[in-house]
Amino acid sequence: MDLATMTAQLERLRADALAAVAAAADPAGLDAVQLEFLGRKGALTEVLRGIGGLPAEDRPRVGAVANDVREVVEAAIAAHGVDLRGAAMAARLAAEAVDVTTPGRRIARGTRHPVAETIAAIDEVFGRFGFVVFEGPEIEDDVTNFQMLNIPSDHPARDLWDTLYVDIPDHLLRTHTSPGQIRVMRETRPPIRALLPGRCFRYEAVDASHGFEFHQVEGLMVDEGTSLADLRGLLDEFAHALFGAGRATRFRPGYYPFTEPSVAFDVGCVVCDGVGCPACGRSGWMTILGAGMVHPVVLRNGGIDPETYQGFAFGMGVERIAMLRHGIHDLRLFMEGDLRFLGQFR
Amino acid sequence: MRVPLSWLRDHVDVDLDPAVLAERLTLLGMEVKSIERWGAEWRSVVVGELLTVESHPRADRLSLTTVTVGAGEPLRIVCGATNIAPGQRVPVALPGAVLPGERRIERTEKMGVVSEGMLCSGDELQLTTDADGILILPAETPLGADLSDLYGDVVLDVDVKPNRGDALSLVGLAREVSAITGAPVRSPAVTLDEVDPEVARRLRVVVEEPALCTRFVGRWVTGVTVGPSPDLVQMRLRAAGMRPVSNVVDASNYVMLEIGKPTHAFDARAVHDGTIVVRRARAGERLETLDHVDRALDPETLIIADPAGPIGIAGVMGGAGSEVSESTTDVVVESAIFDPVSIRRTGQRYALRSEASLRFEKGQDVPTARIGADRVAALIVAWSGGSVLRGRVDTDPREPGPSRVAFRPARVERLLGTTRTAAGQRALLARVGVATEDAPDGTPVVVAAGPDPLVVQPAEEAVVALVPTWRRDILIEADVAEEIARVGGYDAVPTRTPETLMPAFRPSPLGVRDAIREALVGVGFTEVVTHALVAPRSLVDLPWPDDTEVPAGEAASGGRLVTVRNPLSQQHSVLRQHLPASLLDVLVVNERHGAERVAVFEVGKGYAADGPRAREWWRVAFLLAGHAEPSAWNRPARAADLDDAKGVVEVVAERLGLEPVTFEPDRRGMPFHPGRAARVTARLAASGGPRPTGFVMAEGDLTVSGHVAELHPSVAERWELRTPRVLLAELAVAGLGGGTLDPARARPLPRFQAVDRDLAVVVAEDIPAAAVVEAARRAAGDLLREIRLFDVYRGAPLDEREKSVAIRFVLQAADRTLTDAEVEAIAAGIASALGAEVGGRIRT
Ligand SMILES: [Zn+2]
Repeated sequence: MDLATMTAQLERLRADALAAVAAAADPAGLDAVQLEFLGRKGALTEVLRGIGGLPAEDRPRVGAVANDVREVVEAAIAAHGVDLRGAAMAARLAAEAVDVTTPGRRIARGTRHPVAETIAAIDEVFGRFGFVVFEGPEIEDDVTNFQMLNIPSDHPARDLWDTLYVDIPDHLLRTHTSPGQIRVMRETRPPIRALLPGRCFRYEAVDASHGFEFHQVEGLMVDEGTSLADLRGLLDEFAHALFGAGRATRFRPGYYPFTEPSVAFDVGCVVCDGVGCPACGRSGWMTILGAGMVHPVVLRNGGIDPETYQGFAFGMGVERIAMLRHGIHDLRLFMEGDLRFLGQFR
Repeated sequence: MRVPLSWLRDHVDVDLDPAVLAERLTLLGMEVKSIERWGAEWRSVVVGELLTVESHPRADRLSLTTVTVGAGEPLRIVCGATNIAPGQRVPVALPGAVLPGERRIERTEKMGVVSEGMLCSGDELQLTTDADGILILPAETPLGADLSDLYGDVVLDVDVKPNRGDALSLVGLAREVSAITGAPVRSPAVTLDEVDPEVARRLRVVVEEPALCTRFVGRWVTGVTVGPSPDLVQMRLRAAGMRPVSNVVDASNYVMLEIGKPTHAFDARAVHDGTIVVRRARAGERLETLDHVDRALDPETLIIADPAGPIGIAGVMGGAGSEVSESTTDVVVESAIFDPVSIRRTGQRYALRSEASLRFEKGQDVPTARIGADRVAALIVAWSGGSVLRGRVDTDPREPGPSRVAFRPARVERLLGTTRTAAGQRALLARVGVATEDAPDGTPVVVAAGPDPLVVQPAEEAVVALVPTWRRDILIEADVAEEIARVGGYDAVPTRTPETLMPAFRPSPLGVRDAIREALVGVGFTEVVTHALVAPRSLVDLPWPDDTEVPAGEAASGGRLVTVRNPLSQQHSVLRQHLPASLLDVLVVNERHGAERVAVFEVGKGYAADGPRAREWWRVAFLLAGHAEPSAWNRPARAADLDDAKGVVEVVAERLGLEPVTFEPDRRGMPFHPGRAARVTARLAASGGPRPTGFVMAEGDLTVSGHVAELHPSVAERWELRTPRVLLAELAVAGLGGGTLDPARARPLPRFQAVDRDLAVVVAEDIPAAAVVEAARRAAGDLLREIRLFDVYRGAPLDEREKSVAIRFVLQAADRTLTDAEVEAIAAGIASALGAEVGGRIRT
């Protein structure tokens, strides 16, 4: 073996290898080329095995040629490999393409009931003013539902609450959350800021705006100087929170036996914004709650001295608030459980 | 209270536009519910004058008239009435006119003669009750004028609150208008020309129940001619919502609306011996009332009687036998003050509540007993002729002066949050007829009235309000404060946000309920709120068990059913004890609408009676029917089964920090599928959980209990459900009635590799899978991190009474990587425990 022969072999090997690289159709073929020419038992190793037969001074020269061949072939393999992987990736991506215009796969999801959601919204507003939640029973006694609230038996004001009575002596289904005022006052001491949500019942024929079961939220605040002005301020904040910062409000006299003075609280009609429409009886106003300064007799019934303390109470119909917030026109929808209705409150 | 503005103007000048007046009254606390244009219905009805009246050539009953309406050619109008004559002015409905009830008037041909319109009766215009005759207008009525301009009116419907009985009258509302405008109030003037003899010679009144009839004033009108009232009176009564009856009865009703005093007119002939006795009914007495119902009288009832028996139910309704009729010549007028409570009870007992009784219930202004008697007598004479006998019978002529209510102007300001001077407050009170004077030293102030009044000696300036007799609602200082606020306008109350002390923090009792709601909504359940009042039937159709132990602090279900004594309907007559029946109703509603998946839950109460007390408890229930997973365009839906429902129970438990949930077979059958029902229990984990307020709970205490089951097919049939499988659950949860949720406790993350092993164990068919898992769990020891069932296999090569349960357990130590030997030792321990406890053999 001489230098020239060996150099010629290496040159041929280079040409063969480059041809094989160019001919490789996929990464596996390329790996085979790599193995065939550059592997431990590949063609290059085979050629170099003859290097021992060369004179010592020729060996570095052959080594240099061999290294050059290796580098050239490796570079060719690498370059061709990039091309081949790119083509493979492109082919895979093309094969995996889907029609993205089809609808997404539906995931079943639930919704909270608008009554619960509205109670939570009311709770959040008053909670920020330090009101804490209390609860009372739904089967209430006549004494707490009426008499303690300054509504004696046979009082004409009882006409304001058509009552469902139950077969437990002197018990009824609470007609409002107001008896909770008595319970809160007996359970805690001023300063009091209490919120009482819950289910109420009335003997009332069902129509689009009346039901025999509904929900109320009662509020009670008692302290030494809590005044009608505080009530007005708080109700304004509430109305703005629920119906928008620009919502007009109206504070006017109302009547409840358990408040004195009593208040009716209106917001500008949410349908016509105060212009006047059928929804608001053309007045431009919608009453959202009743309120007033807690009657001294009621404070005393709650064990609080009306000469030292004073405060206010308010009560609102949750369904009514929900109807105004969500544009619901029929109260009956709340308790029917029709998912076509409930599914709208996402 | 319906208030015709034209009538209101008799008693006070009103210059305000009706809409403005309505708003001002509303802001004064007299809420105007609606403004009705009375007569707005009449269109193209004008005043005409009859020129000729001839009989119709082809019909005896008809007349042929010519009528001028001022401009244009006279109209030829056919008319069926007989009370018409030339020269009369009458209402003429022109062709194109519309009358009440959407009745359209056109040119018509009547028996061969064209009629160019119609002459109207009072009834057709709904002005009077006369349907037979044409309404004859006063001669000076302007020809051609639009009738709605002449007789049209604006009627305000005022919602008078129960404490303001005084405002259930035109004079009362005129006082409110006066408070707004300052215009003086005109009370009706009463002048009577009395004739002999003295009334006392004819009429004697004995009040046997002076507590229930504190005053009785009687008047006697003789020589009356009963007939219809003047048209104007009829129109006013109609506009105010009352039906005109006769000139005598109308006088009584007119005065009731005018000054708020109900009175009654008896035919004097029917009052035997001229003696009226006010007493309670006696056992067995009966009375046919004016509505021609024969009533057995309850001995509690206060009645008006004569020596022969009852002639009226006091304050509520007169008797038919003493009714004023066309043959009546002498009338006894009763104007009495009755006990409000007695009248209210009587009205309720007989389900008879009249305009009169509603006013009696709210209390009466004492002087109006006298004024009412005089005014009714005067109107009877004016409208029916006759004359009034001299004097009155009056059982208690004393009339109280204004009541004295002391108040502290500074205290009023503290209550209202306003800054008015005492003089400013006094000026406001003066606008509603409440005079004031400086309180003499030592004048007590009533803070709270009632049987145990709170009276204080004021340390600050006090003023005495002199409250007129008709304002029976102003009794204490707070009432005066409201009156000042009301007259001054609530709009004058400043808007402040409270700056007083905050109460102590209190955890919300809604916390656990809200957490469960959130968890269920998150797994695709929609919250429903259904009626607590249900049909008794639903308890039979879906009898839910009451035999589960409940977590501490939560009430057990069951007990005597609570029934409504006065239900609106049978459908809603008892209080439910369980929620699932209501959820089945929801399913029925949604099946009707074609829903493919119904997944709903409710957080609600059950109710029972325990002797004289009521009991209530909170539960959460859910229903799953139809698709567990909805279909997609490229994937079919999967039908829900019990495992889905159990998964939901597990999600709830996980949200509450509880793991694991135990399901035990419940083979009771009805209402459950006997092979697909489980009792659910979960216990307080070391990592926390829900706790009812006020209860200290320890690890292992029961926190969730209840049932999850597939509905028995025969129950589904009874409810006529379309969905073949319905999954239901009801759970008691610690803290549901009001409690807190402990924060979840974090555990350090493992630093060493976990090892998992699968084990298949063959057991007898009747061994529950949960028993296999539990036995393995106990045997695994402290290194067990997780254990779960991942397959159940039946079939060859197993015996047919066997099944293979495959379990995967994960072992992990906190301080080292486990060796193979350790893992094999634990697996062997599990295998031998399974052999001993559930008769299982390891399948290899
Ligand atoms: Zn509107």
